[in-house]
Amino acid sequence: MSRVAQWRRHPRTPLVIGVLGAIAVALFPLFRPPLDGLTNDAILALAFVVMALGLNLVVGFAGLLDLGYVAFYAFGLMVTGWWASDFYSSVNDEKGIHVGTSDFVSNLPGIHLNFLLLIIGAIIICAIAGIVIGLPTLRLRGDYIAIVTLAFGEIIGRVFANGDEVTIFGDNKLSNGRQSISPIDQINLPVFGEFDSALNLRPYYWAVFALVLVVLFVNFRLRDSRLGRAWIALREDEVAAASMGVPLVKTKLLSYAAGGAFGGISGAFLGPFYTSINANQFQFGFSIFVLAMVILGGLGSIWGVVLGAVALSFVNYWLIPDVLDGEFVRDKLDSLGLEFSFTEVTFGVFGFLLVLMMVLRPEGLLPERRRQLELTTPGEGGLEEPGEILEVRRT
Amino acid sequence: MEAASVTGAPPRRRSEAVREFISRYGLIAILLVLPVVYGIQDLSNDGNLNRLGNNLVEGLSNGAILALIALGYTLVYGIIELINFAHGEVFMLGSLSAAALYTPFGLTPDTGTGGLILGLGAILILAMVASASLNVMIERVAYRPLRSAPKLAPLITAVGMSFVLQNVGILWIGASQVAIPDLLGSQKHLFDIWGVTVTRGHVLAIAVTIPLVILLTSFVARSRLGKAMRATAQDPEAARLMGINVDTTISLTFLLGGLMAGAAGLISALYQTSIWYFQGFSAGLYAFTAAVMGGIGNIRGAVLGGFIIGIIQGISDNRIGNDWTPAIVFVYLVIIMVFRPQGLIGEETREAG
Amino acid sequence: MSTGNGSADALLATEHVTKAFGGLVAVEDVSFYVKPRSIVSIIGPNGAGKTTFFNMLTGLYKPTLGRIVFGGTDVTGTRPDIITSLGVARTFQNIRLFSSMTATENVMVGQHARMKAGLFGSILRPPAVRREEVEVRDKAREMLAYVGLEESHFGQLASNLSYGDQRRVEIARALASDPALLLLDEPTAGMNPNESARLTEFMEQLREERALTILLIEHDMKVVMGVSERITVLDHGTKIAEGQPEEIRANDRVIEAYLGKREGGQG
Repeated sequence: MSRVAQWRRHPRTPLVIGVLGAIAVALFPLFRPPLDGLTNDAILALAFVVMALGLNLVVGFAGLLDLGYVAFYAFGLMVTGWWASDFYSSVNDEKGIHVGTSDFVSNLPGIHLNFLLLIIGAIIICAIAGIVIGLPTLRLRGDYIAIVTLAFGEIIGRVFANGDEVTIFGDNKLSNGRQSISPIDQINLPVFGEFDSALNLRPYYWAVFALVLVVLFVNFRLRDSRLGRAWIALREDEVAAASMGVPLVKTKLLSYAAGGAFGGISGAFLGPFYTSINANQFQFGFSIFVLAMVILGGLGSIWGVVLGAVALSFVNYWLIPDVLDGEFVRDKLDSLGLEFSFTEVTFGVFGFLLVLMMVLRPEGLLPERRRQLELTTPGEGGLEEPGEILEVRRT
Repeated sequence: MEAASVTGAPPRRRSEAVREFISRYGLIAILLVLPVVYGIQDLSNDGNLNRLGNNLVEGLSNGAILALIALGYTLVYGIIELINFAHGEVFMLGSLSAAALYTPFGLTPDTGTGGLILGLGAILILAMVASASLNVMIERVAYRPLRSAPKLAPLITAVGMSFVLQNVGILWIGASQVAIPDLLGSQKHLFDIWGVTVTRGHVLAIAVTIPLVILLTSFVARSRLGKAMRATAQDPEAARLMGINVDTTISLTFLLGGLMAGAAGLISALYQTSIWYFQGFSAGLYAFTAAVMGGIGNIRGAVLGGFIIGIIQGISDNRIGNDWTPAIVFVYLVIIMVFRPQGLIGEETREAG
Repeated sequence: MSTGNGSADALLATEHVTKAFGGLVAVEDVSFYVKPRSIVSIIGPNGAGKTTFFNMLTGLYKPTLGRIVFGGTDVTGTRPDIITSLGVARTFQNIRLFSSMTATENVMVGQHARMKAGLFGSILRPPAVRREEVEVRDKAREMLAYVGLEESHFGQLASNLSYGDQRRVEIARALASDPALLLLDEPTAGMNPNESARLTEFMEQLREERALTILLIEHDMKVVMGVSERITVLDHGTKIAEGQPEEIRANDRVIEAYLGKREGGQG
């Protein structure tokens, strides 16, 4: 056997490749200027990886079609709007509340919590939201679950879009309605200090990369655990799962809560990264965008979903606006006498992608269990009908 | 399904019957909350129910449009247990097609009544045909290949188709609402009844919807094809064994739903005097809510649901603000799905498991 | 409430259990019991209500009327996962394995009720959880070997296994939850006489080695007559006969219910 072949079969090879890959991804921003469009797009891609992995828990592992994932993104962003800006400037006699903030921020009115606290807050709120959203769906069939979660996504989006008319705890507005809340505090971490996205995007890149690593770790652990198996059993056959001792209610709610928490984490990161948040983004299209990532990559497949998220993010944030609508392509189209904006068909492209995937390759680009399927010897096994066995044996 | 003895009255736990009663009348009570609350408010503020009455008339007209769209959802769900997510867009494109035909037919707000009737009659048929063809095409392309796949698959393709079609709308008329000629003077006051203003638009909506609903209902109830539809809805395998072409019957169902959506599209264009690529998304969800409210799979239920949701929409738009209306309608949707998924007049669905 | 002889020390007892779906009565007034460590069969023509009865015993359906008592506890209308944790396990008429999981994983799910790891335990994997995973995996493999699956098939996806192997895995999965009562719904469907005979031996082995009580729905009369200590006959949802195999064999009503069916063949 050649050296290369030997190396390919070695059980540690995937691990080595993985580590090398991770190092490459981690070092990427060093090869780009501190303020860079590509780095910006890469940060967004990684944030969407976190979100897609969250949705994967619900749709991929547990098989619950959640069409309202935008709700968790909304909560994550709103957490930063509430607790990392001057939105509630009247608090504490206009002196504000500050926990773990940088010197600069500590003088600002409003509620300002450290980024790590925002993450924790987002996790808690989204987990609760997940349970609230999941509860009504427990006894419903798949398509009805889709509609109810969609409805929740819309309700929450609308509530935040009209949140300037809603007051909580006294005169405080729930949100700024259709206007932005800005600026959102920069991320401030112990040891690493306060970031400045106007000068250097690299810390943001590494922060979201770290989040991705944590989220991946949690995903892998969950997949190969009692809970992960329970989710997949639930997805495959709810009745059989219950008969084997899987408590349906608890298992489903855990999936919504955990999946939602990831969305919250991503939202809590994106608030400071965008430095301004706006309830107008909380649209159904967002839920579909994330769903398309999961489906493209492969329902239930962790690496597949990572691939899907990166691919669609780049298509949406780079390929379409910068390349297809960029100078080079425009000039070509002009010379053919065509005037066409690719950005206008982004919606349709994602929709078409969904249709295509389901009809041609529903298992996704990197299907779950691909390794397992490859291990099966062709021609062996396969489901035989009861009668067949009898016929074969009688000869 | 196991055969068993049918020995007289079924022994039912009293709790089941009580639950059925509570959920039906509970739902009715919750539906009455808005009208009652605002009715009382009107009586104390103005001393009469005129404002509520106006809300109701407005709501019934919108409800007529929703009823037609809801019929499409309910027919399709009844026969293949699939939510045709793209149906709202079929309605939207029907609207866009109808509006696009104003100029070719030379219709303007100044056209005489005779010309309008002829022209709009023709446009109605064309819009209905366009929407019907689109709906049938969607079934062939996006749903039929996946008929044996798990239910998740066609639902996702439905969502995908919905997006593709919305984009078609954007490419056709852009992303903003577009005002179109007010051919009928739909806001023109026609008469007052009990202090409530009724305009041409209101009468139009009801006048077109009722005959269509009656036609559809009698078609499904009496015609051979209608019987085939009902048979397939009950038991596709048995229908097939009886010689019914299930594929054709399903296509027919989509065709009928599309026809209704196309008609709704024209009515909406005339009544709202504007078209928007996004109108299918909200109308679609509202209409679906209506179909579920009435009882999914039940034609009369869809019409009833349409009017009810229309009224809720009418009251909410006027009293709470049309920014909040979607949230309110969707809250109703969640309540129905959780507490009474069979709707007001639908049948109890099979037990889980 | 007495339900007939012997129910006092029964592992499982049903009292006047009825199940109606709207106007259709699938099971009517069935009182029944199973003594510990016995093998009991329920037979009857197709549509007699046997699987509906099973579904009530395992909590999938809630009885319209009547009571179900397992090991002294009233489990009427209790959730299926709780009934499993109390010690009832089952297989299904149409095999219901989790097709995208391996044989081993299927059997590991069977132990869900006996495991403790929760959300945070699954993520953090403290030593106790690690140990639990190893134990559960080992036990799964042990079960699969016990039911006679070849070791090379342990890591195969359930959907890729042969029909016979899938049946084995289903039984292993049911055994994995350490049940006291095992419900088998037509376990010999699709098997040839050799395989059926082996399954019959296996059932007796289970009863001896694992102190199991077995309740069987079966159409294969040879198996039924050969292994049952008692047979209950359902027809149109009601119990029409109950007793020893010889009695049932000679019972006119039973023969009438099966009118025209050959005695030793498939149902």
